[in-house]
Amino acid sequence: MSCAEESGRIMVGQEAPDFEADAFVKGGFKKIKLSDYRGKWVVLCFYPGDFTFV
Amino acid sequence: MASVAARYDELKDLDVEVFSCSVDSQYTHKIWQEHELSKMVPGGVPYPMLSDTGGKIGRLFGVYDDKGGVNVRGRFLIDPDGVIQAMEVLTPPVGRNFGELARQVKAFQHVRKTGQPTPAGWEPGKKSLKPSPDLVGNVWKEWKIGE
Repeated sequence: MSCAEESGRIMVGQEAPDFEADAFVKGGFKKIKLSDYRGKWVVLCFYPGDFTFV
Repeated sequence: MASVAARYDELKDLDVEVFSCSVDSQYTHKIWQEHELSKMVPGGVPYPMLSDTGGKIGRLFGVYDDKGGVNVRGRFLIDPDGVIQAMEVLTPPVGRNFGELARQVKAFQHVRKTGQPTPAGWEPGKKSLKPSPDLVGNVWKEWKIGE
């Protein structure tokens, strides 16, 4: 996994920091890059860990 | 994540992409999907489950807890320009409310389309406000709490 090296505070009204991550998607593995989703609304949900309720 | 997965179609209809993200590897996500999530949600979780081993993405978004070595419950709504429009961060013991997420998506999409701000508790079909100098001091005439 690699992420854009950005620093600074996260703030509403500001651009989200870009990142790329390995992902599990419906049975397969895939790289997801946030900036590839320009033009779409995105909901990004963090949670503590698998096998916990969310 | 199962609660979002169960109502994923609603977000899909709103043209929203969902990503979940934890410090688990994509391989652990696969096992979780196969052994538990697929039993909670028909077909399993339909959206990409991101791996953030080391918490690098969580740090970028300010939700990585160094002490626990995990990402806390942070939810970010990002618009088509890549701008964060809403965020909500909870400590681990309390889960999120899907209904409020869907309401916020609809409200932000309404604002983007019409340019009209939405008052507290706005739902689709309810009145939004047309900003103008005349509205200053007169919101009480245009909108009432609970309306």
